[in-house]
Amino acid sequence: MTVVPAQQTGGGGGSSGLYDVLELVLDRGLVIDAFVRVSLVGIEILKIDVRVVVASVDTYLRFAEACNRLDLEAGPRKDPGLPDLVGEMTESGARGKSKGALSGAAETISDAFKQARDEGSERETESRPRARKSTSARRKEEQE
Amino acid sequence: MSTYVYGIAASSHPALPEGMGGVGDPPRPVRILREGDLAAVVSEAPEGLRPKRRDLLAHQNVLSEAGAAGCVLPMRFGSVAPDDNSITGVLAERAEHYKERLRALDGRVEYNVKANHVEEAVLHQVMAESPDIRGLAEANRQAGGGSYDDKIRLGELVAAAVKAKEGDDAAALQRLLEPAADDVSVGPESTGWLANVSFLVDRGSAETFLAAVEQARMDMPHLEVRVNGPLPPYSFVEPGPAEPAGTAAGGTDTGAG
Repeated sequence: MTVVPAQQTGGGGGSSGLYDVLELVLDRGLVIDAFVRVSLVGIEILKIDVRVVVASVDTYLRFAEACNRLDLEAGPRKDPGLPDLVGEMTESGARGKSKGALSGAAETISDAFKQARDEGSERETESRPRARKSTSARRKEEQE
Repeated sequence: MSTYVYGIAASSHPALPEGMGGVGDPPRPVRILREGDLAAVVSEAPEGLRPKRRDLLAHQNVLSEAGAAGCVLPMRFGSVAPDDNSITGVLAERAEHYKERLRALDGRVEYNVKANHVEEAVLHQVMAESPDIRGLAEANRQAGGGSYDDKIRLGELVAAAVKAKEGDDAAALQRLLEPAADDVSVGPESTGWLANVSFLVDRGSAETFLAAVEQARMDMPHLEVRVNGPLPPYSFVEPGPAEPAGTAAGGTDTGAG
């Protein structure tokens, strides 16, 4: 999902696009103190979880392996092994999020993100209520 | 019966999505509550509403439908009022404030930009720029990968160099896009991206902004840049009491790592 020509990234309906928008829906927007918010505890936990930036032994080992595999003679975009590498990184990132969830609510959100990505990769076949595609998504379709 | 709130618009908004399917299963129909010059986009709040994918999407879809035809102040997901009257009460009480926000955001949309390193490309840069890292990597390679401690030492150096590049690249990306936007809001840091920045863009200037994004992609080919928009201005409504520090509008370096 990561190494693609520029014009193919960033559509509003793409897999990462859906994930990115859900982050905004959960984290931004108007909050009115007179109203309650559902499952607030779970959302707060997710936010803390998402913000943890850890340089771990796992990260170090992964970088060391990546450098080991890197062919310095080749250009930066010529290694056919790269998509696998980046894919692994993304996978482990997603697992880390659900692993760290401390409540059912947080897991629900993590699942929502995961499902969103899964569904997005299937081109969002599920019916959505009057879904509106962004201009970038339309442009993307025109190019395909 | 409690009421779910999606957003606030002017009552003169030309096409509020009345009757559209909202949150819940089955989707609760969207209703419009009017109070003076303002309108609230609401529906019945389903029992046991949780932040599930379907409901998050329903919230976003209602707002993007409403936002397509005119300005709407989007609520954060999950706002529930005890009843309709308490919503019209809030609209009446804070009418001037919401009307001011609607005027300020009229004709403007949010574009959220997130960026990641293309890992191989950034590793190439890091190794090209550091003889120490290059030497250590070569020694490890010749030793068949190196010992556990050797790998940790190399990985630690590389991680620090990559992290420094993340901060630099996030700042550089923001500098490239800022001139094409009216306002900037830096989002929370995460391991999922090195930059997470929202830009408030005039509808009429959207093509200019997207052209700036394309230019940034060409200038910084070691970044994967994702753009989402046009969106309702989630990041540019006034910070509420639950707004975490650091997410309000501001043009500072994200320092995202």
